[in-house]
Amino acid sequence: MGVVNPPVAEPQPAGGNGTVRSYDPLVTIVETQALTQRFGSTLALDALDLQMQPGVTGLVGANGAGKTTLLNAMLGLRVPASGSLTVLGFDPQTAGQRLRAMVGFAPERNVLPDEMRAVDFVRHLSEVRGLPRGEARNRASDTLWLVGLGEERLRTLGTMSTGQRQRVKLAQAIASDPKLVLLDEPTDGLDPMQRSEMLTLIGQISRDFSINVVLSSHQLEEVERVCDNVVALDAGRLVACGPISDLVGAGDGITLELVDVAEPAGSVDAVEAALRAGGLDVRRQAATLQLRGAAFDELCDRSRDAVAAAGARIRRLDTRRRTLEDLFEDAPR
Amino acid sequence: MSDTPAPTAAAPNGEEAQIIDQGYRSYDGPRTGLAGSVRSVVRYSVRHTLGLGRPARHKLLPWLAVVIALVPAVVFVGLAVVLNVDLITEEILPDYHQYYSFITVALFFYCGIVVPDILVSDRRSGMLQLYLSTPLQRWSYLASKALAVALTLAVLTIGPVLFLLVAYTIEGSGPDGLIEWLKIFVRIIVAGGAISAAFTAASLAAASLTDRRAFASVGVILLLWGSGFVTLALVEAADMSANVYAFDLGGIADELKNRIYGIEGIDPLGGEDPGRDDNFSPGAGRAGLSTMFVAAANLAWVAVGSAVVWWRYRRLALSR
Repeated sequence: MGVVNPPVAEPQPAGGNGTVRSYDPLVTIVETQALTQRFGSTLALDALDLQMQPGVTGLVGANGAGKTTLLNAMLGLRVPASGSLTVLGFDPQTAGQRLRAMVGFAPERNVLPDEMRAVDFVRHLSEVRGLPRGEARNRASDTLWLVGLGEERLRTLGTMSTGQRQRVKLAQAIASDPKLVLLDEPTDGLDPMQRSEMLTLIGQISRDFSINVVLSSHQLEEVERVCDNVVALDAGRLVACGPISDLVGAGDGITLELVDVAEPAGSVDAVEAALRAGGLDVRRQAATLQLRGAAFDELCDRSRDAVAAAGARIRRLDTRRRTLEDLFEDAPR
Repeated sequence: MSDTPAPTAAAPNGEEAQIIDQGYRSYDGPRTGLAGSVRSVVRYSVRHTLGLGRPARHKLLPWLAVVIALVPAVVFVGLAVVLNVDLITEEILPDYHQYYSFITVALFFYCGIVVPDILVSDRRSGMLQLYLSTPLQRWSYLASKALAVALTLAVLTIGPVLFLLVAYTIEGSGPDGLIEWLKIFVRIIVAGGAISAAFTAASLAAASLTDRRAFASVGVILLLWGSGFVTLALVEAADMSANVYAFDLGGIADELKNRIYGIEGIDPLGGEDPGRDDNFSPGAGRAGLSTMFVAAANLAWVAVGSAVVWWRYRRLALSR
């Protein structure tokens, strides 16, 4: 399992609030220890031990993995059954009000009042998050320009497309200049073009304005594209946690693509069987085999031998890139 | 950064030019804290319930209630001006405390149709979850909503009577002397505030129990009108104690208003009706209750209503 622990933070002053733990914003944004959450007999979060580092963190997992539960716990909207949680150095249960003044949130649900103008909605939420009225008014417009809705800011929310409404949700989350933004499925319902634009925007917000982002998603490829760090959950358990560069991308086995021909019949099956018999981890999709379980050179040699013995032909042999999907497939059940 | 171009032209008077549109940027200025959050929710909720900034169909019902409450006052003042007599002293027009019978219709209408939306819409749309992701907590969110409802109800309970007082004073039919004027003024504020508080708590309690606006409206209407009919039947037909009137929200709030105006033990509907053998009047039954009991009953309505709302929202799951 690829759980990566960042360096230990140097203790910081408590800042006059007994609930603030040692916190170095350059090292840890969110930290949990044995965090457990139950809904009746269902274990939604199973003794999570994780640390999120600055930048964009992808919170990935299938529906029901516990992503939204963890986000709600980070906002102090849920009381954990046990364990501890700190966000930006604050305990959400005891210092929730101070914490939430520094956090923006865009929920998964469509929460936009149809009759309200986009600029009024963003301004209202900015005021509720603590900006003075005049500042909230100015920043609402500026933020809507940032997310590409400058020309649309006076339109009522009910007349906007799904993509525009997702942008409005993002705008209200960042308009008050939070330290951390929690985005729950921000690309939900978007077409590929809109999804790409939204991901670019999220990356820009973190890069240009130093706003830390936790992005919940079940789309692994979009997390790989935009995130610096990843927290992978499966049925409430931690699958992996750490910088995404440490978890995916590096060479991990080989990809062996064969030519699926009629003669000799079953050549691909024969290669697969021979490699499995040799104790390798083989995953097959049509005529493409993903091989792991030995050093690169050995994998190449054994592939060559199996292909020769079966009379098969190679179309492509390449180093295999480790993906987020592998984290879930490798996770113990 | 923002796509909007920043103006770069030099100022015509030679002063240093300023960048007006700075685009999205960091903010290190002051923050308003919880008080600012509450203010914003109250302001938004008041505007929402009155339909301000919303399409015309949302303005219709709340402003109809305002019109129902205010139009009789305007007519009375008009009559006073035209007829040029002290209409109250001459008992041609109702006294200040008697004007509340006109307000009651508007109040029931407003509480039944308009108020439930203030809580129900946030729960249905998910705005509640968004609000609670801000410095607002459940109690401060509910306090903001209650304050917004109480303020709009105060427009109905205080506004028309205050208008009458000011208009009669200007017209020359008002109270005699500053002390009397201030007495009436304070009574208007206190009575209006007390009625608003009881009706706010009760209607929010009903609205907190369901996510369906129509059900909430029916609940509020049953609470307001139904409690009156049931208590009347229990006291008059089943010969139960007059204390049962404590469960009649509209009646007990009206009785508290009477006591605030110094009317004790008098049937506010006009006393004995010589045309009726039984001299029946629900107000006559309430008139026998002690002022302490009436005040306590109203406080109980506020407390129980608030407790129901808090109980419901403490248990309310936002999402997993």
